[in-house]
Amino acid sequence: MTSTHDADGDLAVRTAGLTKRFRSGQVAVDGLDLAVPRGAVYGFLGPNGSGKTTTIRMLLGLAHPTAGRAWLLGSPMPDAAARVLPRVGALVEGPAFHPYLSGRANLARLDAGDATADPRTSRRRADAALDRVGLSAAATKPYRQYSLGMKQRLGLAAALLQPRDLLVLDEPTNGLDPQGTREVRHLVRELADGGATVLVSSHLLAEIEQVCTHVGIMSRGRLLLQGERAALTEREAARLAVTTRAGQADAAAEVLRGLGLADVARDGRALPGGAGTARLTAALGPTPPEKVSAALVHAGVDLVGLEVDRPSLEQVFVELTGEGFDVAR
Amino acid sequence: MSRAEVLDGPGAGLPVAAPAPVAFARLLRSELRLVLGRRRNLVLLAGLALVPVVIGTVLLVTRDSALSGQGPAFLAQVTGNGLFLVVAALFLCLPFLLPLCIGIASGDAVAGEASAGTLRYLLVVPVPRTRLLLVKALAALTFAAAAVLAVAVTGLLVGAAFFGVQDVVLLSGSTVPVGEGVVRVAGIVAYVGLSLTGLVAVGLFFSTLTEVPVGAMAATVVVAVVSTVLDSLPQLSAIHPGLLTHHWFDFAEFLRVQVDWGVVGSGLAVQAAWVAVFGSLAWARFTTADVTS
Amino acid sequence: MADNETPRRTLSARGRWAVPGVVAVAVAAAVGVPALASADSAGPPDVTPAELLTRVAEAEPTPVQGTVVYTARLGLPELPAEMTGADPLNLLGGSSTLRVWSDGAERSRVSLLGATSEYSVVHHGPEAWTYSSTDDAVTHYTLDPEDVARYRALAERVEAAPSAGADLPTPADAAAQVLAHAEEDADVTVDRPTTVAGRDAYQLVVSPTDDATLVSRVVVAVDAETAQPLRVQAWSTSDGEAPSLEVGFTDVAFTAPDASVLDFSAPAGATTEEVVVPLPEVPADVAAGTVPDDPAGALPEGVAVTGSGWSTVVTLSDVDVAGLVGGDAASLATVPGAERVLGSEEAQDLVQQFVPSDSDGTPGKPSLDTTALYDQLTTEVPEGRLLSSTLLSVLITDDGRVLVGSVPADALRAAA
Repeated sequence: MTSTHDADGDLAVRTAGLTKRFRSGQVAVDGLDLAVPRGAVYGFLGPNGSGKTTTIRMLLGLAHPTAGRAWLLGSPMPDAAARVLPRVGALVEGPAFHPYLSGRANLARLDAGDATADPRTSRRRADAALDRVGLSAAATKPYRQYSLGMKQRLGLAAALLQPRDLLVLDEPTNGLDPQGTREVRHLVRELADGGATVLVSSHLLAEIEQVCTHVGIMSRGRLLLQGERAALTEREAARLAVTTRAGQADAAAEVLRGLGLADVARDGRALPGGAGTARLTAALGPTPPEKVSAALVHAGVDLVGLEVDRPSLEQVFVELTGEGFDVAR
Repeated sequence: MSRAEVLDGPGAGLPVAAPAPVAFARLLRSELRLVLGRRRNLVLLAGLALVPVVIGTVLLVTRDSALSGQGPAFLAQVTGNGLFLVVAALFLCLPFLLPLCIGIASGDAVAGEASAGTLRYLLVVPVPRTRLLLVKALAALTFAAAAVLAVAVTGLLVGAAFFGVQDVVLLSGSTVPVGEGVVRVAGIVAYVGLSLTGLVAVGLFFSTLTEVPVGAMAATVVVAVVSTVLDSLPQLSAIHPGLLTHHWFDFAEFLRVQVDWGVVGSGLAVQAAWVAVFGSLAWARFTTADVTS
Repeated sequence: MADNETPRRTLSARGRWAVPGVVAVAVAAAVGVPALASADSAGPPDVTPAELLTRVAEAEPTPVQGTVVYTARLGLPELPAEMTGADPLNLLGGSSTLRVWSDGAERSRVSLLGATSEYSVVHHGPEAWTYSSTDDAVTHYTLDPEDVARYRALAERVEAAPSAGADLPTPADAAAQVLAHAEEDADVTVDRPTTVAGRDAYQLVVSPTDDATLVSRVVVAVDAETAQPLRVQAWSTSDGEAPSLEVGFTDVAFTAPDASVLDFSAPAGATTEEVVVPLPEVPADVAAGTVPDDPAGALPEGVAVTGSGWSTVVTLSDVDVAGLVGGDAASLATVPGAERVLGSEEAQDLVQQFVPSDSDGTPGKPSLDTTALYDQLTTEVPEGRLLSSTLLSVLITDDGRVLVGSVPADALRAAA
């Protein structure tokens, strides 16, 4: 390991060459190098079956890596599990509780297993966690009577029983209605504001894209890219579309090329400006759109319309892999 | 200040863990509440407690005419001495009903949590795997003890109420006073309870192999039944002394004129060997396995 | 650097799987080591057969308590084991465990252990009790007062006192039967010392010189210290692998047992039967434990003896076999000299065991379907029905004769 401890200290989650090969020979996770900075909300994205959950299992010490290493909060896993995991709240592959125990009793059960938890405050912390996810009213109902959304909330409450430095939330919005999804996003933001690092995985990009500060995208066991979300979507493939009078299309193309834009092409589709207009597209790159419009006007091109199409993460993913996102393998 | 704490940055002091024995005791209490509070387990215990009630009632009604000359002596002796109802009930429960209950409790121990998915949450709490396995083993053993006591205590109450308690006639024909008789019967209860520890360990091991609790339960019961079958094949007499169930009925030793502690000891030693082998197998399996449920 | 957070030393997966392996080896060692340890004892000093015989004969009866295992591999069809609990009938096949206590004088207790039952025989000099826990039944054997006086007189002269009632096999009894006339018709040698019940023991081998018998040899293990027999094995000519009959201590201590163990009083509620046993007019030599050289002279009516020594065949005439196996008490009267000593000691043993109720001279309650048992144990031959075991053959002819001998079945059929 050549990295300095300062760099590591800034990472809440780090893996190096993390690999999981199942006994069947299938490689679920292939040489993963995750880097989740402290304080980040890290969107861990990828289609179902891309290896996210297996990665999370290895991070939490549930599964043993075939190769590679993992660190949580700067300590190696699974060796430091007893020390690190009390500071980590986790929701792994959906909630799971004893069906015949109430929500509160289930939380008490988990709290009883935590050597760092103070039994005297157990009840108070459980109630606070239930309150935070909006389950106070159902605290005494048996878990089996919970709706899917309530179960998911109880799972979140379990992750919030103790103050946490890191939250690992695997598909936290599964089974939630749009309102519940919004609440989870709100909760994630709140946790991040409180100083915690949140690693949140999802196969539905749109649901969490907005709250992420960082993103890592997995496909077929490999990490396709990771980094700050803004940088990813800015840098990658923002496209420009310019609509002009039909006769000025060539001049406009000239201007665009002159600005150094790549991939300038004439779009033959039906045009929003009606007959007599032409549409040009180009990769925007780092060029500010206002500079483009100024240059076109300066060159005497009549600008009928100018759109900048910033791709969603989903589009980035499709571009990278050539396949739809929400597709199970 | 250690480097680890520096790395954690300000305000992120390491949580202080309770000493291992304290944490262990807290989890064990929680586990016992879970096991002994579970309705299915309570139904099992109630079912076992019903056995001496049924035997006692049948004997009371028929006044042993139905059973004389059949079965072991202490069944026929029940009507004369209620203390023998404890022994007779244990004798009748030992071949199948008790192994069934043990199989259910121990087979469910780990596999039940795995199939419910709660195992992964316990492990990320984190509960160290060795501690969790020990707690599970102790809870299963407690349930086994509760099962034996359910039979014994109701046997004693029903026997005393229906037939009274008298001096005890041993298998050897000697008669011992009530006090010694009660001590001997208590010895039987303890021996039967300890005789089930090997099966608990086997069940616990199966429980670590699968996420299907019913599979682990069935496999455990099958082990007990197969052991009984092997024990009845004279061709296999060489392996009989090591079989899990071979010494179960040696509890009769407590009803002989002179208790041979060598016999009692070897019966318990065989159980200890099964506990050691299957306990360590369960440990090796559980602490190395990936939790995929 | 993350690596400088020294990870707790934990075992690798392979290391963890090695633990149950080590445990299994430790368990195996715990089972195997005592067996090994007993194999390498230095052994007692050498002894000649004659010296050994003398030492056994002169050994004082001593207090003893211990566990005896009796194993029969007679080649008989399997009996339904445990069907009857602790019943002497179980001695016909398989292994039985007995517990023995004796004060070395008049009082002793021998218990045949069933899994959850017990058959006890308690001797107090001229008195004896048997108790079967299965039937909750006591049989109390006594001599009439006249005989008791005679018994006392006899007992003063003879150390091995004749005892009333049923007996269970013990190494001492079996050894007494074999060694009583060991030097007749047999070679006596000493095999290398062995260990029985953790004690050093000499092995006395009695090999019949007679080729016609089924008995290949009888091996008596004699305790090197006390000269008490610890184990008797009877080997058949047809099975060189394992002894056909074996009775020996697995655990023994030559210390006086608790007095309470040797006590007996009939438990409340048990059925009790009183049996007064006539003390037979015994010639002095028989009382001394030897058999007359010419038993024919003393034979009761209906008993004929052919052959001699180990290959003796005894023929009983006019026996109502069907009635006997059916548990018909009256048919007992048809057994000539039921209490008499038969030619071969093993034969005597087996006859007693085969028809256990007869050996008591009292009709025992048939505890299982003896007729079915009879059919199961015997096979049809032209002469009648044949029971063939590795040590003994019994032929029951259709005309009511019973031929018994430690000889091959063909020899009996020829004699019939």
